[in-house]
Amino acid sequence: MPSAPLLLSQAFNGLALGTLLALVASGLTIILGTLGVLNFAHGALFMLGAYAMYVVTAQTGSYFLGILVGAVFMLVVGVVLERGLVRLFYGRPHEDQILVTFGAGIVIVEAVRAIFGANTQSVPTPSWGQGIVQLGFLFYPTYRLELIGIVAALLFALYLILYRTSIGLVVRAGIEDARMVGILGINVRRAFLLVFAIGVVAAGVSGMLYAPIVSVEPDMGSSFLVEAFVVIVIGGLGSYPGAVLGGLIAGEIISITSAFNAAYSEVMLYAVMALLLVLRPQGLFGSEGRV
Amino acid sequence: MINRSDAAGLRRRQLLQLGAGAAGGLMLPGLGTALAAEAPLGTWPAGTTGDSVFVGVTSPLTGAYSADGKDHVLGYELAFAEINEGGANAQAWGLKGKGVLGKMIRHGIADSELKANVAVQAQTQFIQRDKAIMITGCVSSATAVALEELAQRDHVLNMVGASGANATTGHDCQRYGFRSQPSAYMACKALAPVVAQHYGRGKKVAYLVPDYNYGHSVFNAFSEFTKPYGWTTAAQVVIPLSASDYSSALLNIANSGADVFVNIEFAAQAVNSTKQAAQFGIFKKMQMIVPNISSFQAQETGAQLMQGVFGTMDWYWTLEDRFPLSKNFVTAFRARNHYIPNWGAHIGYLQTYLWALAVERAGTFYPPAVIKTLEASKANPFNSTLGKVWYRAEDHQLVRPVPVVVAKAPKAMKSKDDYFDIVDMVPGEQAISPPALLGCKLGPYV
Amino acid sequence: MRARFWPEAAMVAVLLLAPLVLPRLGFSYDLLQRILDWGLIGLGFDLLFGATGLLSFGQAAFFGTGGFVAAYLLLHHVLSSVWLALALGTLAAGLFGLAVGWLAVRRIGIYFAMITLAFGQMAYFLENSPLAAYTGGENGLPGVPVPMLGSYKIAAGMPMYWALAVIFLAGFVLARRILHSPFGAVLRAIKGNTARTGMTGHSVPAYKLAVFVIAALYAGLAGGLLGVFQSYMPPEAFSLDTSGQLVVQTVIGGVGTLVGPLLGATIWLWLRDNLQQVPHIGALWKLILGLIFVALVVMLKRGIAGEIRWAFSRRRLASAEAGVPEEAGEAAVMPPEAAALPMQAPLVVARADAPALRAIGLSKFYGGLHAVEGVSFDVRTGSIHAVIGPNGAGKSTLFKMLTDEVSPTSGDVLLFGQRVTGLGPTHTAQLGIGKSNQLNQLFLDLTVTENLRIAALARARGTFRADLWRAADSIAPVERQVAAAMDTVGLTHRADVPVHVLPYGEKRRLEIGIALAIGPNVLLLDEPLAGMSPAERVATRALVREIGRTRTLVVVEHDMDAIFELAERITVLYEGRLLADGTPEEIQRNQAVQDAYLGGLHEHEPA
Repeated sequence: MPSAPLLLSQAFNGLALGTLLALVASGLTIILGTLGVLNFAHGALFMLGAYAMYVVTAQTGSYFLGILVGAVFMLVVGVVLERGLVRLFYGRPHEDQILVTFGAGIVIVEAVRAIFGANTQSVPTPSWGQGIVQLGFLFYPTYRLELIGIVAALLFALYLILYRTSIGLVVRAGIEDARMVGILGINVRRAFLLVFAIGVVAAGVSGMLYAPIVSVEPDMGSSFLVEAFVVIVIGGLGSYPGAVLGGLIAGEIISITSAFNAAYSEVMLYAVMALLLVLRPQGLFGSEGRV
Repeated sequence: MINRSDAAGLRRRQLLQLGAGAAGGLMLPGLGTALAAEAPLGTWPAGTTGDSVFVGVTSPLTGAYSADGKDHVLGYELAFAEINEGGANAQAWGLKGKGVLGKMIRHGIADSELKANVAVQAQTQFIQRDKAIMITGCVSSATAVALEELAQRDHVLNMVGASGANATTGHDCQRYGFRSQPSAYMACKALAPVVAQHYGRGKKVAYLVPDYNYGHSVFNAFSEFTKPYGWTTAAQVVIPLSASDYSSALLNIANSGADVFVNIEFAAQAVNSTKQAAQFGIFKKMQMIVPNISSFQAQETGAQLMQGVFGTMDWYWTLEDRFPLSKNFVTAFRARNHYIPNWGAHIGYLQTYLWALAVERAGTFYPPAVIKTLEASKANPFNSTLGKVWYRAEDHQLVRPVPVVVAKAPKAMKSKDDYFDIVDMVPGEQAISPPALLGCKLGPYV
Repeated sequence: MRARFWPEAAMVAVLLLAPLVLPRLGFSYDLLQRILDWGLIGLGFDLLFGATGLLSFGQAAFFGTGGFVAAYLLLHHVLSSVWLALALGTLAAGLFGLAVGWLAVRRIGIYFAMITLAFGQMAYFLENSPLAAYTGGENGLPGVPVPMLGSYKIAAGMPMYWALAVIFLAGFVLARRILHSPFGAVLRAIKGNTARTGMTGHSVPAYKLAVFVIAALYAGLAGGLLGVFQSYMPPEAFSLDTSGQLVVQTVIGGVGTLVGPLLGATIWLWLRDNLQQVPHIGALWKLILGLIFVALVVMLKRGIAGEIRWAFSRRRLASAEAGVPEEAGEAAVMPPEAAALPMQAPLVVARADAPALRAIGLSKFYGGLHAVEGVSFDVRTGSIHAVIGPNGAGKSTLFKMLTDEVSPTSGDVLLFGQRVTGLGPTHTAQLGIGKSNQLNQLFLDLTVTENLRIAALARARGTFRADLWRAADSIAPVERQVAAAMDTVGLTHRADVPVHVLPYGEKRRLEIGIALAIGPNVLLLDEPLAGMSPAERVATRALVREIGRTRTLVVVEHDMDAIFELAERITVLYEGRLLADGTPEEIQRNQAVQDAYLGGLHEHEPA
């Protein structure tokens, strides 16, 4: 049995891990909910964001410039991807959508490997994120601690966009009934483009924020993609609050299990997901049959 | 000359003679022709009838470890080019003329994607389609074990590696597999006295163990060899494959009260876990030891974080100061690829040459003859990039010195590539396990 | 019959010619074996995904289970017969499939894909860590022996190719039999319209579970063979990549064609292998393959085999349509004299002494909304009974409660005195209540004959039967029933036309025909005349009257002329409550009905 301080530490770490997972999953769930497209390229876009961060910080040394330029870059990537590829698939079956994004993911990863090589790259922790903070029962890296706040702010901003703007209204209406939105004469195509771009930027920004913590390499996105799937299944496919809560739950499962035996953290995550799907198949906030 | 129809009946006796001949280094080129009367075995003689022979190489070029995989492949390509050219470098190893036994080496390279199944698929294709006479290359122990099995089944020689797990020349060893990299056992046995002397007795150790065969091999070996010095295990944190966020694992380690942190992760994951360990302040409390330091670990992690880290490596480029063949290798590799080779490249380079030398000594590509020659190399060691080396007949592990290194502080580096001091070259005989310990039972020759 | 076996004959030819032709293109025997192995797991997957429409991302779980169980049994000398080990491995995969399927098949769409993905990933991590002592963890199990045939050892290379070719061929023949069996017909119906399949009396979850297990058995056998033919059981068998590659290859090759996965594997493995051998391409092979893949998915909507089949079927369809005379007004739809169907009787026997259908205090509340409240009425055996009421009166909800599509909040429905409430629409159909819907619920990709056959099969075979081997059209009573129902609704001249090309009026009649073909004693028709032209209305009224001669009918309809002409008794609903119940004359005289409903009808009702 792990000690109480360790369990407390892991519970806290689960929160930090969870907020990041929530941000990664939020982009995935918005796109799925509105467009009905399960974006298998999400992990690759996460990685692309991290590389954008790497390139800009290596040139300028500025963290904020990295986020800014990176976000604009991801916006462009999102628009190009939607206009050039995803748009062709709105009327086609789920499996075609899954496959084309899956293919796009491979292309993005391998293009990055061809350009930057397979070696890992480093993005420096910003000066204000250096060091460790003593939190009573645990020491925690300053940047990770700050990241909880940054991610929370971003999630809140996304909440404002989704729940307090007219585009958000269309997005949420689209989640309820895409056909209805079309009938109402709202320009669904433009809304879809916007939603896809927002989802891509969310994926990219997650990668940018994560870049100083992990090694930046072409395959870094794959494990996040699968974990993001788990998160949105737990939370309910297409549900934004579901992604946030699901992220926190997944973070806690991984962290608390690690206190006992880290080797079982992944098994535990999937076991909980499977159990939930059996007991409450639509996820915590979802409604089955819609997606 | 031996009559073809008598070949089968003569095989046993002939092999005995052959073994004796190889051991004595008395093989004559003429005898190779005589052996063409042997019953066909694997890709022999079909793969050797033309003016060239084929070597199949698999290595991860995409996915995890692909940086190491690319380096690995460049080592092979350099060796193939040198041997085919038959220039000064090949002659320095003792090869004669162009190619091997006068035959050019053709090769195919396939991406294993770090999947054993894909590697087996690609090598089987090389064997069946291209009549590969030798297969080689991998950057994972799972792949090594799978390819050894394939080599044994299809009677094609396999120069195994890179692979550090004990099983490669232990429980899963094969008659047709030869490994040049030090096993986890050898690495840890060489490393333990050095770190014990440096850090003192009675240390508490926290381990970060990737949950695969190699990870457990290293954990078992390191904890065993440091036990005599009073070192104890404070935490053994086993983490799933493909982990990318180590925070929860590192919290366990930070809370373990250990003095020493042994990081067994490999390649990108080693870099990743090291960076995150620094963020969690682990290095303020603990010294890191990496029993097997990955090729690009120092470069990617940075000297600032790596300084003071002890570990072992298959080879390091500054060995060029000690061994002329290493000097040749580094010089030629730099000229060709514009960077300094890492040990992944070295394994490809070394194994290709050792195979070529054995074939020339045996005077034939006939696999049992080449195997016997390699098994008999103790009596007549090969001169190599690591000095005198030979394969142990009982388990096909290369008996070779193990470099124990420590990472330099940034200001002590003489050049941008000068990350390590070689603390010790522990002789192979001293580091290697007793022959039967790891459970190797070699299979049949034919 | 000769035409029916040409795919099998073609497959034999392909398997015989492959080792002669393909090596010239750089395929080794090993590569051919791998293609067959992918093709084998693909047969089961295509039955699951292509035929039934269930996209699984977890086939690796069964592939791995079959492989590791077989390999473990052989390597630990529990068994010495490779064949027996393969059989047990396959069985183990089937059992695992049964467990996962039990939990998964009630989920639909992406949820189904995700739950299978979750179990697949869980199996992968279980293999790697907790079960490493048995599976070798990430090393897998090397040294799997090859099988013997008597005293002949089936060695790697050509002998192993022939062994795999024979096994694949057996799997292919079986899969084709399954696809063209009554069981397979139901699978295709589930893909076409899951709800209607259940409403005709087939137990949809049972069929889904059965096909899930069949797919798992195929995967298990393929997994076992993987270990055998390469002497090594790799842990990647369990990985998500394996499931993903299967989906990729199936989609490239063509979904629902059975040969699609084989074709996809051939192309994928060949490209993968050969791209790498192009000089200086190195790691770029994957980028190029990725681009090719995206282009294929964008351009080919049906996969390669699917596009070819589509091109053929389009030509056939065009010629079929050219040969059929256009519907010639009323004449074509005049009902024949005898509408009595030859089928066996439903489970509940019609009795003249009890009301055919009896609603007792039926209520349905949605939260605070009282859609139907306390409605009771009797439907006399052999009568045509109408339910009318303005829009929103609760007619459709009431109808759905009669077949138990919607569970009543309170109250009961009795069929010839037997309670049917709570049984669900599948069982009420089996008991003898048929229903045609307000909105057509057809199997659009199937022909008229096949549509009716789905319904007739439910009566003949009950809620579930795994008759995998016989042909779907080989059950004589079913075929007579189909012919009779088709004749009754006047669609015989359209027998082999896919339903999606039918004009609306014919679709509407087919909707009734399906309800009729289940052989019900009581038939519920929900607005049978909705959306029809005046000429079609006349014909359909005649049809309803004709059907009413042999069975009890309950009709919801807005067309008052039709109702008062056809119905012997009329129940009037108003705002969810029963307003009146009586003969047409009584209803016409009823002041409350006139005030509340009929008075307003002519002003507001478009019908």
